[in-house]
Amino acid sequence: MASVVLSDAEKLYIIHGVQEDLRVDGRGCEDYRCAEVETDVVSNTSGSARVKLGHTDILVGVKAEMGTPKLEKPDEGYLEFFVDCSANATPEFEGRGGEELGTEIASTLYRIFSSEGSVDLKSLCINPGEHCWVLYVDVLNDQICTTAECFNNPSHQFSGAWQSLIGSKVLVLRNHTGTFCYQLLECGGNLFDAISITVKAALFNTRIPKVRVLEDEEGSKEIELSDDPYDCIRLNVEDVPCIVTLNKIGYRHVVDATLQEEACSLASLLIAITSKGALTCMKKIGKGSLDPESIFEMMETGKKVGKSLHASLQKVLDEEESLGTTRQKVGFLG
Amino acid sequence: MPLDHRRLRGPDESQPPELWAAQPRDGGGGEAEESGAAPRDPCALRPLFARAGLLSQAEGSAYVELSGGTKVLCAAWGPREAAEPGGAVAAGRLLCDFRRAPFCARGARPRPGGAAEREAEREAAAALREALEPAVRLSRYPRARLAVSALLLQDGGSALAAAISAASLALADAGVEMYDLAVGCALCRPPRGDGDGDGSAAEPWLLQPGEAEERGSAARLTVALLPALNQVSAVLGGGRGGEPEGWGRALRLGVEGCQRLYPVLRHCLLRAARRRDGA
Repeated sequence: MASVVLSDAEKLYIIHGVQEDLRVDGRGCEDYRCAEVETDVVSNTSGSARVKLGHTDILVGVKAEMGTPKLEKPDEGYLEFFVDCSANATPEFEGRGGEELGTEIASTLYRIFSSEGSVDLKSLCINPGEHCWVLYVDVLNDQICTTAECFNNPSHQFSGAWQSLIGSKVLVLRNHTGTFCYQLLECGGNLFDAISITVKAALFNTRIPKVRVLEDEEGSKEIELSDDPYDCIRLNVEDVPCIVTLNKIGYRHVVDATLQEEACSLASLLIAITSKGALTCMKKIGKGSLDPESIFEMMETGKKVGKSLHASLQKVLDEEESLGTTRQKVGFLG
Repeated sequence: MPLDHRRLRGPDESQPPELWAAQPRDGGGGEAEESGAAPRDPCALRPLFARAGLLSQAEGSAYVELSGGTKVLCAAWGPREAAEPGGAVAAGRLLCDFRRAPFCARGARPRPGGAAEREAEREAAAALREALEPAVRLSRYPRARLAVSALLLQDGGSALAAAISAASLALADAGVEMYDLAVGCALCRPPRGDGDGDGSAAEPWLLQPGEAEERGSAARLTVALLPALNQVSAVLGGGRGGEPEGWGRALRLGVEGCQRLYPVLRHCLLRAARRRDGA
């Protein structure tokens, strides 16, 4: 993963801060950074979303294509994930470095979505055993990771300016308590959470054209696409889980760690939480090990944070949806 | 991979017969499974056989077998000079490899080197590395690499957990400095004992599931523990959602299972050392 080089003193500073529930950017241990969510950013896709979480910038496109269902599940469609960590993000992603991380993230996504009930796969079926929709979910990580130029820069004005500039175009998601609204604070960090939020937003945005199966007397089937481009099915994303990564720093754990904080953390626990607070996946990542007791604490925090994350994400998505076509798109210039 | 013409090849498109046989058998098979599952103590561990130092070519090796047919063979190679010196990275690197024998699972033989197969192996190898890294004193091997490779001969359930135990035994057998052995233990939750309703009181998680139990399970979890330090080195699980409390209970059960397996592995290491001294 992308990393920064920190001196021992810097690390100690972060660790001691976390102990006092105060992080370098002024957040508490259980606060997320401000995230920007925009859906429908790429018109060539069935659904797309872009999320900026601090400096972590994720773009997800969903394309629906027709395919044949898997043999074991003839009446279900399926999802395919591909994660590309482009070398734009950090030089470390060049060559095979990004590939390794990409497959790790993709396999985590598969793990999360393989649990039945996260997405109603039956609704993707067109014709049992023969045709189904395959959703190709492509994740692009465009994280712009400069040096520590913006480190320690509580850009209040910056964020204010941004918001007035973009007005209602970009909706700012204020997670958790919403007391801190910093933008462009630091670079990168917390890739998994950002990706899962973006995937959920993109799936929410996904519109799959309606098709009908016509059968003539001889039993040969024909697929007919609806004439009306607005006649489409939407996915129910209520049960799509979000990932919450809890980084163990010192004796405490933090959510939504920045790159600097990730460098101080030896081990972290990644859990996937649905909006109802059910845990669907958990995984330890990192070089270190964890005390069993701290894992229980982390799961509790994860559930609490995950629930509020879902609530605010859903609110933002609904709000954006209600703006309809009048919404001016910001795209990548914002 | 070039086609092997000596092999009798099936038609281009074929489907495994189990898919079609499964439906009518489901009722009978389910019952048979139920009757087998009912008396099963959820906390019961499958008897484990472990032997270290059995490969002559590798510096360290171990074989772990769980009764019911999970067989894993592991080999470890001690510090070698790292191919690409990591520059500022002073600590050594642990390279893990996980292979599934083409005949290890039930059903049709997967094409070796197939994309799905490779993906699964790579994920298992990453999980193995995560589990072993905290146990090995990598800082003692600067600019060096250690290699572990696990070969799954037969998958009878709880394969990754067995591979973690075997790999840490192999590393210890190779004389690599370690903080502790990493002991793996798997759990699964059968679909009926859903943890969200009234079933939460009963412990629905099963320790060290067999292959049949694992296949039909709603959720799975693999835990690795460093028992002497009481540190969890790997947690990997997923499946149908459940309350975090339920997963917490599962974790506790898994940790307990690892603690109970620990003496067996330690004993095996001792035996291997004695054998080597005797030889």
